[in-house]
Amino acid sequence: MKDNKVKIILAIESSCDETAAAVIKVTGKKPEILSSVVSSQIDIHKQYGGVVPEVAARHHVINILPVIMEALEKAQVNKKNIDLIAVTAGPGLITSLMVGVEAAKALSAAWRVPLLAVNHMYGHIAGNFLQPLKFPAVCLVVSGGHTEIVVLKDHINNKKIGQTVDDAAGEAFDKVAKLLDLGYPGGPIVSAEAEKFKVQNSKSKSNAIKLPRPMLGSQDFNFSFSGLKTAVLYAAQKMSPKERKARTSEICHEFQNAVIDVLVGKTIKAAKKIKAKAVLLAGGVAANKKLRESLREAAESNGFKFAVPEFKLCTDNAAMIGLAAAQIIKKKKVPLDNYKKIVVDCGWELN
Amino acid sequence: MKKKTHSEKETYDLAKDFAKKLKGGEVLCLVGDLGAGKTAFTKGLAAGLGVKGIVTSPTFVLMKIYPVKSSPAGILLETKLFNGVNKANHRIKEMAHIDAYRLKEGQELINIGAEEYFRDKECVTVIEWADRVKEIWPKGCTKIYFKILNGDERVIEVKK
Ligand SMILES: Nc1ncnc2c1ncn2[C@@H]1O[C@H](COP(=O)(O)OP(=O)(O)OP(=O)(O)O)[C@@H](O)[C@H]1O
Ligand SMILES: [Mg+2]
Repeated sequence: MKDNKVKIILAIESSCDETAAAVIKVTGKKPEILSSVVSSQIDIHKQYGGVVPEVAARHHVINILPVIMEALEKAQVNKKNIDLIAVTAGPGLITSLMVGVEAAKALSAAWRVPLLAVNHMYGHIAGNFLQPLKFPAVCLVVSGGHTEIVVLKDHINNKKIGQTVDDAAGEAFDKVAKLLDLGYPGGPIVSAEAEKFKVQNSKSKSNAIKLPRPMLGSQDFNFSFSGLKTAVLYAAQKMSPKERKARTSEICHEFQNAVIDVLVGKTIKAAKKIKAKAVLLAGGVAANKKLRESLREAAESNGFKFAVPEFKLCTDNAAMIGLAAAQIIKKKKVPLDNYKKIVVDCGWELN
Repeated sequence: MKKKTHSEKETYDLAKDFAKKLKGGEVLCLVGDLGAGKTAFTKGLAAGLGVKGIVTSPTFVLMKIYPVKSSPAGILLETKLFNGVNKANHRIKEMAHIDAYRLKEGQELINIGAEEYFRDKECVTVIEWADRVKEIWPKGCTKIYFKILNGDERVIEVKK
């Protein structure tokens, strides 16, 4: 297979809760998403009847073929036109990853189409590859399970330089929502509460809630959010149920500010250190408007270009895996029998 | 065993010592509220076992397997320090760190292949939020209860 002949990529992703497939078309330098299907969007449950456990490989097993078929159908692509299959091989749960990887291998062997393994975290970063970028770049990848700072020398060469040492940023939002009895998923709820505070309260109080900015001043590029969770717990413990309810939006406001201060502070520090030209944001927590705006503002005021993928490319999906593959194959030839060498790597770290 | 700790560091150190008593094959069921210190304890445990690298909360990823990379010299030193209590430590090759916080039933843990680690004599398994999956607790597992007292005070109780 020659690089310049590659036109159509089928991408498959099953590392977390979602089963997903997408079709990417690469013409010249520009990639285009022809279709992107995520299992939660389509009514497979009805199709099969019965209850499907939420977190289970079985869920992926049931979803995988319908999702792939739907992606091909939506893209109006025939299997004969596919030049490459790309699949997430890690990091993630072995039982979940294996469903996508084994399906991809079977298709690769049966259709005689080369198969490429893609790292899920690199996939998140590649969500940004639809737009022109400048390098070197620093990317903040934030999701429920991950919080990492990755340096990109170019589209392909990357290195993780920092990560959370305990809870991920998205996890902290969920747990604070739980501590304040706000429900699930915590991210959007806590943000919405935080917004309310701004509207209601402009005058500052002397007993205003103050939360720490963990590790903001540390020399490395790591994060820690479990202390922030604990600080919210202690603050809430000190209040009567009535006061806690009345001040929920204030707590959320200060909590969100604390998380964003640290995320933005460390990312900009990294960008300065490596003399980056651009700052990128990726992962499910990029859906947080305040984070996007704050990071954009900080990046641009420091002279860095800023990029973030559109919403549906931030949460787990397969299109980002296809976009990642589109870059990798520019530099790497993928042999037809590559599927024989691909194994799931649950702990696959970016370099 | 029932101990009161006054800081994250104390909990970490307690777990690090506790790790030296482990032989492999143990399943530790951690029970306690948000912020009680289950992950902090697991970090100390990992250090005691000789896990290299950063142990993070598995709440979203559900399960993470850490290789135990104690150098032979390190084990010798530890064995000496603790008077041979844990001569068998070198048999422990992995730590499985599981979190049932997002799960509704034990079957979901079975589905992700957790039982494989419960049975593994060369693995120590830690389950946070284990009270959510009581129905699949293996026989002979160790229960560790965490209680939040005032401020940074925590009571940690180990029950066989
Ligand atoms: N004595 C103590 N032992 C352990 N942690 C303590 C102690 N005092 C304060 N802390 C703080 O409490 C928090 C414990 O958080 P940790 O994430 O370990 O709890 P957890 O039980 O794993 O919570 P979760 O339910 O979110 O998984 C940390 O912020 C830690 O610094
Ligand atoms: Mg924890």
